Amino acid sequence: MFVIRCPHCCEVREEEEFSYSGEAFVARPSAPEIESDENWGDYLFMKRNVKGWHWEMWGHSSGCRKFFVVKRNTANHSIGGAWSLTEARKEYDAEEANA
Amino acid sequence: MFNSSQSNQTSQFKPVMQSPLHPFGLAAKQEKVNGTKGVWANEVPLLGYISLRGNVQNAAFINAVNSALGISLPTQPCSMLDSSFGSILWLSTDEWLLICPREQRATLQKLLETALQGIHSQVFDNSGGFTSVILQGKNASDVLHHCTVYDLSALQAGKVVGTTFGKVSLFLQQDKNGYRLVFRRSFADYIWRYLERSALPYGFGIAQLNDER
Ligand SMILES: [Zn+2]
Repeated sequence: MFVIRCPHCCEVREEEEFSYSGEAFVARPSAPEIESDENWGDYLFMKRNVKGWHWEMWGHSSGCRKFFVVKRNTANHSIGGAWSLTEARKEYDAEEANA
Repeated sequence: MFNSSQSNQTSQFKPVMQSPLHPFGLAAKQEKVNGTKGVWANEVPLLGYISLRGNVQNAAFINAVNSALGISLPTQPCSMLDSSFGSILWLSTDEWLLICPREQRATLQKLLETALQGIHSQVFDNSGGFTSVILQGKNASDVLHHCTVYDLSALQAGKVVGTTFGKVSLFLQQDKNGYRLVFRRSFADYIWRYLERSALPYGFGIAQLNDER
């Protein structure tokens, strides 16, 4: 169990209030009907599955019902931050550029 | 042969309005709050619930709502406001819930719809979808601790939070008399039974409603 600060409610809340929604910023193919099965399969199933810092989406299902992004360490559950989708995108892109 | 007069009588549509907690017969069980029980609760039945949605970045939306209701729309997260028509609760960054006496809901809805004409927004009557319960008494917070994961010490007056209650969720607020729980109609049976059970060690009474909105 851990706590997450919802960037919309601006409050630290119990994990139980939230629901996990998978890896963040996985780009959906823009034209699924002409996408190859292989690419479509990769989009659906091939996730990074990292040990360490992971960018993921959470929904505040018992609270404001908004989705947002959490940077969480999958090895020890420490949380590097939580942002709205727009704000997280900037952080994420900056980090990807430096990687 | 088909008897039309009889058929008319039996098929006559007679809608009945019942609150979600109607089966518990709370009105008949209520008593004046006294010192014999640690927890007092009751349903405030059949209120008006108007949902309002819109973009806070849009000054036209905010201005229209503020001038129509004569209030300043609570845009701070988890804040709420008591007003002449009832109360208005921040539910999300683009969503509010107006709670008013049931007779006023049509007027309130019309007022907002008129003011928001042509502005990207949504106003709808959700009165059939919600109900409220008040929770009072010296052990009210003890009971709530059994039911929710929310840190109740962070729940000051003027605040409303969406959180868990057992396996479901609700909106929780506190005022000078105690707590107020606002939740979906379909959760009512579950929440009431959960409250009754949790309050057992402290003594559970049905509080007389003193003109509660
Ligand atoms: Zn939230």
